[in-house]
Amino acid sequence: MTTVGIPRALLYYQYYPMWKTFFEYLGAEVVVSPPTTRKTLAEGAARVVADTCLPVKVFVGHTVSLVEKCDRIFIPVVRSLKSKTYNCSKFLGLPDMTRAVVPEAPLILEIEININLGKRRLYQDIYRLGRQFTWNPLKVREAATAAWQAFLDYRELMYHRELTPPQAMEEITGKLPAGPEITPESPRVPRTTIGLIGHAYLLYDEHINYQIINRLHQYNAMVVTPEMLAGDTIEASVNKLAGQAYWTYEEEVVGAGGHFLENNTDGIIGIMAFGCGPDSLMMDMIHRQATRQKTTPFMCLTLEEHTSETGVITRLEAFMDMIHRRKQRGKAICV
Amino acid sequence: MRTYLGIDVGSVTTKLALLDESDELISYVYLLTQGRPIDAVQQGLREIKEQLPPDVDISGVATTGSARYLAGVIVGADLVKNEITTHAVAALHYYPDVQTIIEIGGQDSKLTVVRDGIAIDFAMNTVCAAGTGSFLDHQALRLDMSIQELSQQALTSQAPVRIAGRCTVFAESDMVHKQQMGYRVEDILYGLCQALVRNYLGNVGLGKELESPIIFQGGVAFNEAIVRAFREELDTDVIVPIHHEVMGAIGAALMVHEETATSDIISQFKGFEQSEVKYRASSFECKACPNRCEVAEISHDGQTLARWGGRCDMWERVPGTQLHPSEESK
Repeated sequence: MTTVGIPRALLYYQYYPMWKTFFEYLGAEVVVSPPTTRKTLAEGAARVVADTCLPVKVFVGHTVSLVEKCDRIFIPVVRSLKSKTYNCSKFLGLPDMTRAVVPEAPLILEIEININLGKRRLYQDIYRLGRQFTWNPLKVREAATAAWQAFLDYRELMYHRELTPPQAMEEITGKLPAGPEITPESPRVPRTTIGLIGHAYLLYDEHINYQIINRLHQYNAMVVTPEMLAGDTIEASVNKLAGQAYWTYEEEVVGAGGHFLENNTDGIIGIMAFGCGPDSLMMDMIHRQATRQKTTPFMCLTLEEHTSETGVITRLEAFMDMIHRRKQRGKAICV
Repeated sequence: MRTYLGIDVGSVTTKLALLDESDELISYVYLLTQGRPIDAVQQGLREIKEQLPPDVDISGVATTGSARYLAGVIVGADLVKNEITTHAVAALHYYPDVQTIIEIGGQDSKLTVVRDGIAIDFAMNTVCAAGTGSFLDHQALRLDMSIQELSQQALTSQAPVRIAGRCTVFAESDMVHKQQMGYRVEDILYGLCQALVRNYLGNVGLGKELESPIIFQGGVAFNEAIVRAFREELDTDVIVPIHHEVMGAIGAALMVHEETATSDIISQFKGFEQSEVKYRASSFECKACPNRCEVAEISHDGQTLARWGGRCDMWERVPGTQLHPSEESK
């Protein structure tokens, strides 16, 4: 049986249930690399040029860790998911770059997703990927349909139950632990809602973001993330703020940020990787909008390998203090 | 008499401030940390004790600054607060109508935007320390003058020279170049102050609305040349509070007062005798998982008081302690 390795990085968080269903339907076994550790990051960083962004270094590290564990590694290229939207060049060159920096890697399975080339082309590409496992086009078609359904179910689960991608994946496999302990509201630490914006590979990789979601829970904050919002709501926010979307994953930043700014969150935290071109434009758009609106505090945390944990914690503490004091003050005025 | 003690242990200096029941500053201490935060806190406690009137009762202690957790364990803090919040609280206490708080310390610089008496936005310098006290200190050292001399000389400048202030290394080569070209020292020094201010405004102050009244606090506010450069660059008055260098400690004391006022918490303060106790700080690399966290621990008489620095709570639960970074906020 063929074993397909999937690095726990970049697009994994959005699409893993879909990919897994597809390959398993075709009779393959799927392995995922273990969660990021300092070793993963160090191994990835050692292979690429210094100015590669943090998420790509993490991705390479995960690929390296899969080398001995699988016969194929799946690295899709998501070029465009909507008409006239584009993705960052690092996503487009990912299979080639991986081949260059991880020469010992097993065969890389690629597929390019580009909606601009039409559906017919997409189906052909899916078939070409499936042919690695079977010559029967019907079987590939069934696998693709099942995979798409798994993706829709996964999205629904996150949206309806307000789960993060890791939580939803655990729910699918039946291992979801109990949610964070909800402490009763105290005058010292009021209950707040914090909107977290950014790409999934930053928001849910606990190693590189210093467990930001856990930390926010400790501040008695309810955390809402882009995946918990309905697709059309986010799209409407993008259109309102930016007009036509340009970047493939613009919804996660501009869409969610725009939505949180208008919908009763107590604060918004943006997370971006140092040196990220698209994010430097998109986060700035939300920052400016927040400054103009003056209703919801916004803070952006920039992550790279040299980001100190202390710096992140100090900023997070100060941000939450600011929100708590605002809330207490608001209450005092009402009374 | 009920009093509240705030301790701010920064990268370069350690500050202690004692407030009475009506939040008046009774006494304060300002000393160099010199890379030994435990000694600095103990020294500070000794000095503050000498200044104390009799019948003083410490009803609450709070620590802040980059060594806040360490200091908190040593003194038995009732509250451990980050320095961004404590500085804002202190500034608002003395200047309720403040709109902008500039704070420049030894290794970091911050900006807090306040509207209607409440902080609405803040920024802190990132990994780069250009535009902080250390940058000036380093240049003063290179010119073989004290930081006071640097300030006084810079103030006499008539035609400041433009220095590239983006980076300490480049600023230094630029200064050397300007010296070799024959520019006057005071003009170069004031140029340096202007560069620091430009750097601060372009980095920490990027995209922020700096409205008056503007408060400037932290150790660097001692430097009159920097104050002048801020006034010129912002084209408005910049207020330097009398106790600008201990504002973080004052803020911490104010916050612990506020907190204990609403509850009957009895202070955890371990007493001034702590200044004579021998503490031992050490660290080790945890080998339980590939993360290899560097765990720091503080012990006394062979008994571990607290540990931190790990990514999980494996080492942080030390029996008999109540304070560690992730629990403090609960």
